[in-house]
Amino acid sequence: MAKGFDIDHLAKLARLQLSAEEKALYSNQLSQVLTYFETLARADLPPAANVAQVIEESALRADIPGQSLGVEAVTKIAPASRDGQISVPRVVDDES
Amino acid sequence: MSESPWEIVIGLEVHVQLRTRTKVFASAPWGFGEEPNEQVDPVVLGLPGTLPVVNRVAVEQAILFGLVVEATIPERCAWDRKNYFYPDNPKNYQLTQKDFPVTLGGQVEIELPGPSRNVMGEHKMIRLHHAHLEEDVGKLSHSGSGSLVDYNRAGVPLLEIVTEPDLRSAAEAAAFLNALVTMLTQAGVADCDMEKGQLRCDANVSVRRRGDTQLGTRTETKNLNSISGVRDCIQYEAARQIRELEEGRKITQETRGWNAVNARGYVLRDKEDAHDYRYFPDPDIPTLKIARATVERLQKLVPERPFHRQRRYMEKLGLPYTVTSVLIADKALADWFEAAAAAYPQNPSGIANWVANDLLRDLSAATSAPDAFSEPSVAKVSLVDCRIKPAQLAGLVKITDEGVISKQQAKEVFAEMFRTGQDAGEIVNAKGLRQNSDAGELEKIIQEVIADPAVAKSIAEYRAGNEKAINALKGPIMKRTQGKANPAMIDQLLRKHLG
Amino acid sequence: MSDALHLLSATEIAQRLHAGTLTSRALVEALLIRYRNLNSKVGAFTYLSESDVIAQAEASDERRKQGKTLSSLDGIPVAIKDNIAVKGQPLTCSSKMLAKLISPYDAHVIEALRAAGAIIYGRLNMDEFAMGSSTENSALQKTYNPWDLARIPGGSSGGSAAALAAGFVPLALGSDTGGSIRQPASHCGVVGLKPTYGLISRYGLVAFASSLDQIGPMARSIDDCELLLNALASPDARDMTCFDQGQRTLLPPVAVNQLRIGIPRGILDKGVGQEVAAATRAAIDFYRAQGATIVEVDLPSSDLAVPTYYVVATAEASSNLARYDGVRYGHRSSQATTPVEMMTLSRSEGFGPEVKRRILLGTFVLSAGYADAYYVRALRARSKILSEHLAALEKVDMILTPTVPTPAFKAGEKISDPLQLYLEDIFTIPANLAGLPALSVPCGKSQHLPVGFHLVGAPLSEKKLLAASRVFEASHPYRHQQAPL
Ligand SMILES: [Mg+2]
Ligand SMILES: [Zn+2]
Repeated sequence: MAKGFDIDHLAKLARLQLSAEEKALYSNQLSQVLTYFETLARADLPPAANVAQVIEESALRADIPGQSLGVEAVTKIAPASRDGQISVPRVVDDES
Repeated sequence: MSESPWEIVIGLEVHVQLRTRTKVFASAPWGFGEEPNEQVDPVVLGLPGTLPVVNRVAVEQAILFGLVVEATIPERCAWDRKNYFYPDNPKNYQLTQKDFPVTLGGQVEIELPGPSRNVMGEHKMIRLHHAHLEEDVGKLSHSGSGSLVDYNRAGVPLLEIVTEPDLRSAAEAAAFLNALVTMLTQAGVADCDMEKGQLRCDANVSVRRRGDTQLGTRTETKNLNSISGVRDCIQYEAARQIRELEEGRKITQETRGWNAVNARGYVLRDKEDAHDYRYFPDPDIPTLKIARATVERLQKLVPERPFHRQRRYMEKLGLPYTVTSVLIADKALADWFEAAAAAYPQNPSGIANWVANDLLRDLSAATSAPDAFSEPSVAKVSLVDCRIKPAQLAGLVKITDEGVISKQQAKEVFAEMFRTGQDAGEIVNAKGLRQNSDAGELEKIIQEVIADPAVAKSIAEYRAGNEKAINALKGPIMKRTQGKANPAMIDQLLRKHLG
Repeated sequence: MSDALHLLSATEIAQRLHAGTLTSRALVEALLIRYRNLNSKVGAFTYLSESDVIAQAEASDERRKQGKTLSSLDGIPVAIKDNIAVKGQPLTCSSKMLAKLISPYDAHVIEALRAAGAIIYGRLNMDEFAMGSSTENSALQKTYNPWDLARIPGGSSGGSAAALAAGFVPLALGSDTGGSIRQPASHCGVVGLKPTYGLISRYGLVAFASSLDQIGPMARSIDDCELLLNALASPDARDMTCFDQGQRTLLPPVAVNQLRIGIPRGILDKGVGQEVAAATRAAIDFYRAQGATIVEVDLPSSDLAVPTYYVVATAEASSNLARYDGVRYGHRSSQATTPVEMMTLSRSEGFGPEVKRRILLGTFVLSAGYADAYYVRALRARSKILSEHLAALEKVDMILTPTVPTPAFKAGEKISDPLQLYLEDIFTIPANLAGLPALSVPCGKSQHLPVGFHLVGAPLSEKKLLAASRVFEASHPYRHQQAPL
């Protein structure tokens, strides 16, 4: 099983900033855990996982509008807002 | 014109907002023009503890689209999480379908621009890879040092339609989008109002030397929001790639943006920065089993495909191409035409001309200016408000054909019908427009006209075998009957008198 | 008499309220006195509005006066783990990230409890985002085991178990992803049930690992546990994984002399403390003496359960916890000048070390190039574990093991070694992976500390598990022993 991981890359993917000590600590602990996971690599497993739960269309939601929270409730819990919108530092790379 | 040594290969990913009342995974309503963050509930906002619940209508709209494009509707579909951080993405993952989309395959027939407006262009089938159902994100706007987020659009149902790399030019891409919009709107699946951002497109473009079988390195340009934008961007990007290759450089696989204002593309990120989306099956939404009964029920709602309809009009009804292309662009208009033609099957061409010309013109004049973003010249007309009913137009054509009124009079009657909604017969009676068919009186007028030396030359020509010369006599006769004469009868009597 | 109100079971309280010998208000006032005196020692509650719970009690008494009592839970306090949304109350998950969040909505279970007339009674401490087995990962405060204040109460529903053992409240809600109800129940000498996955709506339960999480009842007796379970288990269209009406018929109980109990082969040999093993054997002997058939069962993939669990749980958690970015709610760093920086700093400041560790692990097992080796293999292993359990449960009504290999450890003892801590859950994890109901029942002591045994049954066998343990409870009344506070 592949074991190498790049703690800087993982931290960036997970949007976490780690100090040098944290990096050392987590790297160490992650590699311990991953070593422990090697039982999974050795195990004789079924070729594919079962589908956990299957539902039919009757379980889907009817297209009937429900209650909105209201802009006040939204901005009340927001860390920063202006004119009913959530404000954040300027987004430069505007793609989604 | 010598053919370019380069072949352009294009695949499109089209995001369409489906026509539903509520969001795809939440019962919050959505629609254009609401105040910011008014269409947000705990689920849309991704509050801790909230869970998605799939909108049945969104699924049915997606399946219906699949049936429209003759796709396979799999037995099962499932949702995955696409993980990436962005302030407009409330959960920082998007619910989408990666491995088990709602439709597989399918095809869209397109028509390329013909040599002129009146001539049918080449037709081509564009294969679809699949279409999947996912959620839209919120909207960012920028002001000064900050940005503002409105989550009204977050969670709006999106159908992402992915083509095979079958398109070969910017014009084909535009034709594809036109055909797609026609099918989506005619099936009632989506409104495709591009001004409201209801249809957005990513274009994958590569070029290769003609004859090469390997695809070149492609770039993906994101978020094109008009058909002209797609066309311009593809032209720009293909030209850029060709220039790069001709100058000995390589194309890098990259994600690009498009600036519609200065009509230039730009690099968003290269392959090294490509996202690692860490897709995995969403544990909150069970796999959905799609009953065959549902597919059969929706199959009944599939409208006739526009080009199929066009061929039928041309082949079975003998309509000319130009008229059929106007009719099929608007399902309501074509349906209206068919209702009228059914009421008077003897002259579908006559009815089609009234519909495609007079009715459409008067409706357009009566409605507001056509939508600036709808690129084919499809006027947004409201047949619902039209006072003339199909059977009434059929009645007008019928009495014209029977010679009860002349074509000239029919125009006048039509205008009155459009204004009042009265039957043609009522108007004809009320206005005393009945065409003069009294043979005796007409014969007298004809004799007078023939005797006029001004037409002697035409008579001589006719007698010498020039059939068309007879027409020169009809105008003066019509004039003297104040347009009430039956043209067929004039023709018949003239020939008798001229021997 | 009134000084012992805090020891009454919910069933006894219901009888007294019905008989008119007790009012909800009198009960709540007695409980509040105990809370004021002892919560600072135990640290079970992180939030409790006295005026709010008194108002709820008065409303219940008023209903009763007018003959409009809503259910047998009417007027009885239920304390809530701090990861279950109550409108107008904090929803912190014991994290700095959500320390200031007031929930604008109610969880399904809260609506159900309100409809039953229960008193929504305060917020209970937990491991941050339910990640942990000791409640030491709370960013808000420490919780101690009422049986020995130097020890942990277990976790992550440590506040729930400690509140029950301390006599603060007769009923509590916990949540269980890998043992978070059953392990603290065992450590604190109370009853805890993790229901069949899908029996109780997760709407309003802050997600840790969605395919494993379940809300469950915790109480000081089997009857109370069942009373609370019945109030919580109802269909909810807001959770697509929650059973609808037609899918939730519980299997009927089985008489103890008809019962077939499976014991996994060699279960007490490895890593189980001597006194825990002895208490478990005593429970097995008890059932045998009652006429139950004891059968050895094989679950060959047991050693895969812990690694499978940590791959699946952390993968889902890394995605579930992505929404905490400081944009829409929760902690926002004041240091940031770009959105990326804002999200990164908010998360780095807002999350504690165990949460970060699991997010990093979950991010890794899903990442490009590794997902097949870890996440996809874990799903396949999960399927294997499920089919082995279902096969075993064809032969027996339930599988009995200890709940936890060893009794509650001293505060601070294991926190530095995540791997050792993960092994606390070795007996409880398979039920989550397989979606099966599981129950921890107090069964004895290891020195002065409670230990429990653990029953796992087939899907929807909750009544079987409760009935079997009721027989045990009747002749082993540990609940009457009061934690020495
Ligand atoms: Mg795309
Ligand atoms: Zn998409």
